[in-house]
Amino acid sequence: MNIRFKTLSELKKLLETKEISSCELVSETFKNIASSKTNSFITLDEERSLIKARAFDEGKIKGDLAGIPIAQKDLFCTKNLRTTCGSRILENFIPPYDATVVENLNAAGSICVGKTNMDEFAMGSSNETSYYGTVKNPWDFERVPGGSSGGSAAAVSEGLICAATGTDTGGSIRQPAALCGITGIKPTYGRASRWGMIAFASSLDQAGTFARNAEDCALLLNHICSHDTKDSTSISDEQENYLENIDDDLKGKKIGIVKEFDISNLNKEVQDSFEESKKIFEALGVNFVEVSLPNIKLSVPTYYVVAPAECSSNLSRFDGVKYGYRAKNINNLEELYIKSRSEGFGDEVKRRILIGTYVLSAGFYDAYYKKAQQSRRMIKNDFMEAFKDVDIIMSPSSPSSAFKIGSKTEDPIEMYLEDLFTISANLAGVPAMSIPHGFAYGLPIGLQLMGNYLEESKILNFAHQYQKNSDWHIKSPNLEEIS
Amino acid sequence: MDNKTIETISYLARLQLGDDKKEKITKDLENIINFVDELQNIDTDDIAPLANPLEKIAPKREDSVTSKSRKEAFLLNSPESDQNYFIVPKVVE
Repeated sequence: MNIRFKTLSELKKLLETKEISSCELVSETFKNIASSKTNSFITLDEERSLIKARAFDEGKIKGDLAGIPIAQKDLFCTKNLRTTCGSRILENFIPPYDATVVENLNAAGSICVGKTNMDEFAMGSSNETSYYGTVKNPWDFERVPGGSSGGSAAAVSEGLICAATGTDTGGSIRQPAALCGITGIKPTYGRASRWGMIAFASSLDQAGTFARNAEDCALLLNHICSHDTKDSTSISDEQENYLENIDDDLKGKKIGIVKEFDISNLNKEVQDSFEESKKIFEALGVNFVEVSLPNIKLSVPTYYVVAPAECSSNLSRFDGVKYGYRAKNINNLEELYIKSRSEGFGDEVKRRILIGTYVLSAGFYDAYYKKAQQSRRMIKNDFMEAFKDVDIIMSPSSPSSAFKIGSKTEDPIEMYLEDLFTISANLAGVPAMSIPHGFAYGLPIGLQLMGNYLEESKILNFAHQYQKNSDWHIKSPNLEEIS
Repeated sequence: MDNKTIETISYLARLQLGDDKKEKITKDLENIINFVDELQNIDTDDIAPLANPLEKIAPKREDSVTSKSRKEAFLLNSPESDQNYFIVPKVVE
């Protein structure tokens, strides 16, 4: 049976009606992965996946996601399965424990077939900083899939897998979801546990997921999110069933359009798609209201102080002593630190560690880090004010569609501006998602829906109603044409 | 961003930049710092810094052992170990 491009819910039904066995599903998945040319995976786990599939087929595994193959971003620690975080420094790292998100998805019965490619330590918007090679966008092999969760997005987009986890520190789920034409969601900061996620910027990092539609994302979030005492910023509020309100009527609800997001200078197709999407919501009885986020222009500079500062601190743990890469021919301990780190990290990671070290150094701390934390509060306050008037806020997910591999690697700032629309949700900590809503230059683009704290259900409801009234999420790349 | 600054922060971060990369990285850092300098122009009087979006205070718990020692499992990942120890180059002469 051809399982490519089937949704999670469709596969679940096929397993329930025994039209397919989990063993067939898993074998077919590995066959598709083997013939793929996108470089979406870093490490595969075929043998253990088949053992789990057999156990499911024998009725030994139960759960909401039982028997379904999924993929994990290579940033989540997976017990006894290599976890590289896209870096040379963790080339041989085999975690002795599972991340809580992984544990949760395993407990629901899903089968992790492998670890997806990503920008090194999640630092990048194109997947080009991975030590394990760039991922190709399934819609056009000369273009990037976005990043940092580029492998997860490409694998779902190419139909290799129906769902994959991701992490989002500044847009790392939403931007690749947009560029690969799939659905991706980042819940509220703290809703999913960070335990076992290799840390980049701890006050921004958040786990989430990619799937072929909003309904599947809701089902996955039901398991990804949990309160976890092992994560000190984990939210203890009761967790909703994200599927419960997904069919709610949108009549009379309000979407905010951000006054300060000037889309008039973006590609005409991006603008047209945005207008078309507004019409779809209007037909469902939604009203549009202009909202103001006066400090939104400070998002990218604020982020490029906060994120590197936290990264320089987090990545100081990689020193070649307890785990990870150790340089050879060393004379003393300091040389061991310096050489292991210099040989183990790639250029973008070094760049960010250096910026972080600079902004945190004596004499500069107040001018940069404290200032950025103050501007972060101003951005958060703007969101709180805006959500008094509207249910959700809508914007494009990224400035344009996928760009050519290599076209933005020379200028880091140009690359940083890829996350112009996504970064503010991380700074404020609010949930946000991207759904496919059109094409620019023949390639998919995404629509971003942002919600208030813990209102994942609301953005999923809007996304699901949109997808019931449009077909962008059903479109898939013509793999024969491009291979 | 001069050479001396780059050398100082590289050392603080325990990173060594290859001669071929030094110039490019210095230029990149200078551009990034100029870019974030926009923050210097904003009025932040009376605005308290926000370190964490939820402003949560780390929860306290009873000081008791919650997981058992798994020394062997963790030592398996070390580049060099001997019995119960990580091996590093000699520190004390």
